[in-house]
Amino acid sequence: MGTSTMTVADQADRTEPVGLEEYHQISGFLFREARLADESRYAEWEALVEDDMLYWVPRGDGEFDMNRDISITADNRSRLRTRIRQLMTGKRHAQVPVSAMRRVVGNIEAERLQDGEYRVFSNFILHELRRSSTATVEVWAGRVEHRLRRRPDGSLGMFFKKVMLINGDEPLPSLAFII
Amino acid sequence: MNGSTMAIGERTDAVDVTSLIETDRVHGRLYTDPAVFEQEMAHIFYGGWVFVGHDSEIPDVGQYVRRTLGREEVLMVRRRDGSVGVMSNRCAHRGNLVCIKNQGKERYLTCPYHGWVYDLEGKLRDVPYPDGFAKDKSEFTLRALRSESYRGFVFASFDKSVPPLVDHLGKATILIDRACEMSPTGRIRLTAGWSKQRFYANWKMLPENDTDGYHVNDVHASFAEAIDSQYDAAVMGNETAIRSETKDWGNGHTELDFSPTYDAPLKWLNTTPQRFPEYTRSMLAAYGEAKGNRILRNGPPHAVIFPNLFLGEMNIVIFQPVNVNECVQWHTPLLLDGVPDDLNGRIIRNSEAAMGPSAFLLADDSVISERQQIALRDRADWLDISRGLNRERVDDLGVIVGHVTDEGTNRAFWQHYRKVMTADTRAGIRPVARSA
Repeated sequence: MGTSTMTVADQADRTEPVGLEEYHQISGFLFREARLADESRYAEWEALVEDDMLYWVPRGDGEFDMNRDISITADNRSRLRTRIRQLMTGKRHAQVPVSAMRRVVGNIEAERLQDGEYRVFSNFILHELRRSSTATVEVWAGRVEHRLRRRPDGSLGMFFKKVMLINGDEPLPSLAFII
Repeated sequence: MNGSTMAIGERTDAVDVTSLIETDRVHGRLYTDPAVFEQEMAHIFYGGWVFVGHDSEIPDVGQYVRRTLGREEVLMVRRRDGSVGVMSNRCAHRGNLVCIKNQGKERYLTCPYHGWVYDLEGKLRDVPYPDGFAKDKSEFTLRALRSESYRGFVFASFDKSVPPLVDHLGKATILIDRACEMSPTGRIRLTAGWSKQRFYANWKMLPENDTDGYHVNDVHASFAEAIDSQYDAAVMGNETAIRSETKDWGNGHTELDFSPTYDAPLKWLNTTPQRFPEYTRSMLAAYGEAKGNRILRNGPPHAVIFPNLFLGEMNIVIFQPVNVNECVQWHTPLLLDGVPDDLNGRIIRNSEAAMGPSAFLLADDSVISERQQIALRDRADWLDISRGLNRERVDDLGVIVGHVTDEGTNRAFWQHYRKVMTADTRAGIRPVARSA
């Protein structure tokens, strides 16, 4: 498998493929981010976030404009901080007790933007046991765009996460966890 | 079935609702009995006026949106003459769904099954292979519902003989006026799309909870702890310090009126006029100093229009029943005509903060409702709604007013519900095949 297969072919203008080592590091970031979200380890998850973070869940993968269309979630850094602060009060009923969750992340395609930044697309399937009410298992699935930035210490942080649910424009149950 | 036969289409009110609703308490069975739900479909959702949508959603001829009224699939369509119609989304031929997309724009509506073609008025215009179809096409239509609108809010009824919409709205036209008058032009625009939240709970918990001021301290404790907002003073303070009120506007229309708490303009938006000077100026120019300042201070209504519309401050909300144990709450930001984009942008962000599956508020409301549905599942008996009966008053509009933590809104909902559920209606009757 050559490194070129790891690029996002249709968006390859102005971008470069990533090497195997970078791909490995990027994948590791996504897996860790998924695990921290699954386990509701909010502070550790938040430590992955850059100051210019945008956490966006539009109503699916259509052509949505954040400034004209209603989203499921559209958090800038400040609102994301509030979201996490609310979860950490222990009184966020929709996550008391927290959902038991496991997600599988795959189909990872990464490309290098300028200045040590990366754009990464992946698919996910998430099973959620809704312990706070119905005790039923919900299945969430979709495509995610991450934008990552290399930090001075060499690690990666994220400044953009867009979650395009396959059913974002259909009725969704409470989504108080980090997806 | 024990030898008894029932003609198809004959309605029987299986449940004596009057025995389940008293002034100060309601029976848990009302949330869990499938027979009650069937009766609600017949009496409330097919026999009365139900909110469908807003005409700003379909500005152009041929535009349509798909909606569900009760369990019926309907289309709200901008017709060729510019008027708005509501019609069944079920082909008159073999009953297939004519439109599958949630919204669209068409010159004609064509059923994908056998290609029957309808115009925007729902009249059948063409059938493929016409030589084999000898019937008169004019007998076949996408069934039109009775529809009327008030300031662009479109309501429909399956009962052609239902009294005019204004009779149903009654004094609550004042609430819709207040929502529209948040715009300097008096017009609102529902163009941001709808976010839909599933509740595994009975639909009546939505109108009840949305005008219940008593739950806020507990259900939204995490919100209050994480965020400073206008609700701290409006509904979460000390019992004697809170000045907000419940209001029973009649016909099941109910309000939490936060305005007595707001002592400065734009508090309802958690901001100040200095932040939005152009909006402030245009409102004063449009309505004059006195009324303009009053609107800017009081803010939008927080009110339920029976049975399925919630004027949720800067949101418009639809309640959609699915079955006795499940419902969907739709919401869209109430965007204002004639204001700067940054104000509508703030309204969109506020809408996501308050409403919808991941919101700081509604994510918790849905889970609390679901817990209630679980707890009521089987042998629940009476639920108490007496709070505030000892301190109600009637204002000069004839509106029954209480403390914002009181249950006057819930009593108002249930009293009207009882009236509608026991009224004589034929609209709920399933259509019977008529023999010629």
